[in-house]
Amino acid sequence: MLDAYVTALGMVLDPYVLAVITASAIYGLVVGCIPGLSATMATALLVPLTFFMPPVPAIAAIVTTSTMAIFSGDIPGCLLRIPGTPASAAYVDDSYQMTLRGEPELALGIGLWFSVLGGLFGTAVMMAASPAIADFALGFGSVEFFWIVMLGLGGAVFIGSSTPLKACIALLIGLMISLVGMNNPAGQPRFTFDSTEMLGGVSLIPMMVGMFACSEVMRHMIADGSAPQIVIKKMGPIFANMWRLTKQYPWQLIRGSALGTVVGIQPGSGADMAAWMSYAMSKRFSKTPEKFGTGHPEGLIEAGASNNSSLAGAWIPALVFGIPGDSITAIAIGVLMMKNMAPGPTIFVNNPENVYALFLVFVIANLLMLPLGWAIIKVASRVLQVPRKILMPIILLFAIVGSYAINNSLFDVGLMLAFGALAFVLEENGFPVAPVILGVVLGPLLEEYFINSMIKSDGSLIGLVNRPIAAVLAAVTVGIIAWTIVASLRAPKHPARPMPQDL
Amino acid sequence: MKFNDLFAGLVFLGLAALVATASWHLPNPSQQPLGPSAFPLILSGLLALCAVILGVNGARAVDRGPMLALAGWARSPAALLKLALVPGAVLFYLWFPEALGFLITAPLILVVLFMAGGVRPGLAVPLSLLVALAMHSIFYLGLGVQLPWGPLEPIRW
Repeated sequence: MLDAYVTALGMVLDPYVLAVITASAIYGLVVGCIPGLSATMATALLVPLTFFMPPVPAIAAIVTTSTMAIFSGDIPGCLLRIPGTPASAAYVDDSYQMTLRGEPELALGIGLWFSVLGGLFGTAVMMAASPAIADFALGFGSVEFFWIVMLGLGGAVFIGSSTPLKACIALLIGLMISLVGMNNPAGQPRFTFDSTEMLGGVSLIPMMVGMFACSEVMRHMIADGSAPQIVIKKMGPIFANMWRLTKQYPWQLIRGSALGTVVGIQPGSGADMAAWMSYAMSKRFSKTPEKFGTGHPEGLIEAGASNNSSLAGAWIPALVFGIPGDSITAIAIGVLMMKNMAPGPTIFVNNPENVYALFLVFVIANLLMLPLGWAIIKVASRVLQVPRKILMPIILLFAIVGSYAINNSLFDVGLMLAFGALAFVLEENGFPVAPVILGVVLGPLLEEYFINSMIKSDGSLIGLVNRPIAAVLAAVTVGIIAWTIVASLRAPKHPARPMPQDL
Repeated sequence: MKFNDLFAGLVFLGLAALVATASWHLPNPSQQPLGPSAFPLILSGLLALCAVILGVNGARAVDRGPMLALAGWARSPAALLKLALVPGAVLFYLWFPEALGFLITAPLILVVLFMAGGVRPGLAVPLSLLVALAMHSIFYLGLGVQLPWGPLEPIRW
């Protein structure tokens, strides 16, 4: 393992990779800082560029962008009371109250410092746990993998959504889109409408760019474009009180980081859910819960550490099983597949250097967040003044050219538009978009594992549950679904609880 | 533009029926127990089940509203026109890049979208040219993507 780490370190310290990490860090910080441009959108827009990179810089770009964007989403939340990403929404009241009190540097310093610590905690867990889980999973057969995929999809739909029925329909739409092409166990063309472009299936990158970027441009076009007003212009010293706060709230830091990592591992619950849960937990166990929402640092520390630690946590199922923990890792899995690094337990056997390089990129990205995060905080008031009426047309053109660039195909540009329109209509009607992506990414795997398991058992469904691990996974999956159905039947008839929808 | 759940349920039920019909007769050359039609049929069955539940919930809802409700923006011709500019821009890119080339098509798209958003022409025009040149440099020069030149072919660099 040590040899592989040394090789990985050499790969990561390559000047080209370091340049990609730095550029992605700046890009992620700027995009995450602009309200309305989510970390997922930042990542999706980057994918066409990663297509032209070798595997390590490509994955480094995705990891660094998402890590930075999740932190910098705190900045507009603090200065404008508009969270830059849903993951910053949980504690926006506290951070904004600090700004109104004249202490924006304290709120943003907490966001930056504890994001770094939380991110490093999650990375350490990922580095320690992933190889061991992968080693265990090497003995799995198609039945166990079928249930793991089902568990991932079930978690995404039934845990990660406030509207499970609509999320389930969105997931089924995604699974149906994955049927297109010849990528099925029988190798038969399905739903290709005699189009040669469709024989290879729906191209994942134009689809993701359309659903996350083109649809956002459409929403911007129908929105009222009034410019947000920034409260302050200058920042004081950002790291002045951080060591004192670390010593004052160590338990909150550890609890937030640990919960964030666990929530991240659980498929379907991303950084936003980690932040909400950690904030709620912080308030529940606080000696001064009445101070929450008034500019109190406790919840900020716990939730800020939590949302960044969840990012690394989400990579554990993504790497070991190919099951995305959130929408960013769904995109990342697409990139890994594009680079012939199909995720799964064998990736630790076939490509250990690349996996360890990914771990090291996480460490570097989190450490790099300190100086670059400090810099973006210093210039935040200027970045926030960039009008969306200028950004959105540029994003659309980037989406068009990026979609075209993958295969030099105008067909993919049309695909991008079609999926942008689909995402726009779905979201207008309360259907979450992320399960569609999950369905498309995991559909071929699900079908392959299901058909293989059925062939092995001569078409008997008993074959799906007659091995101990498969039976446990089946029970957990069915339990999650049953629990959600019972909970929804017993819930009082009032509007759905507010829950972030970034998956 | 919001559909109520009854309408959405009917749409998805129709989609499930279409997928089931299209996959029913898919050939199974290797004669395996489950052929290429099995998975689509299972999915369409599940979608039909979800669609029925959604439709029934929608029909039972006290505040279900009309089948199709127009949001505020959908009643505003200006907002509709701005929204239509997005597919319009993409379709323009689909149809005209060979004839006009990227360095003419892209700035035209940007100028229209900038001005639709309220950017002054004095800023929109130079900004469009700059952004198009930057994007051309990234994709054509940097990544080797074959962006068309159109009438600017003689000055290709």
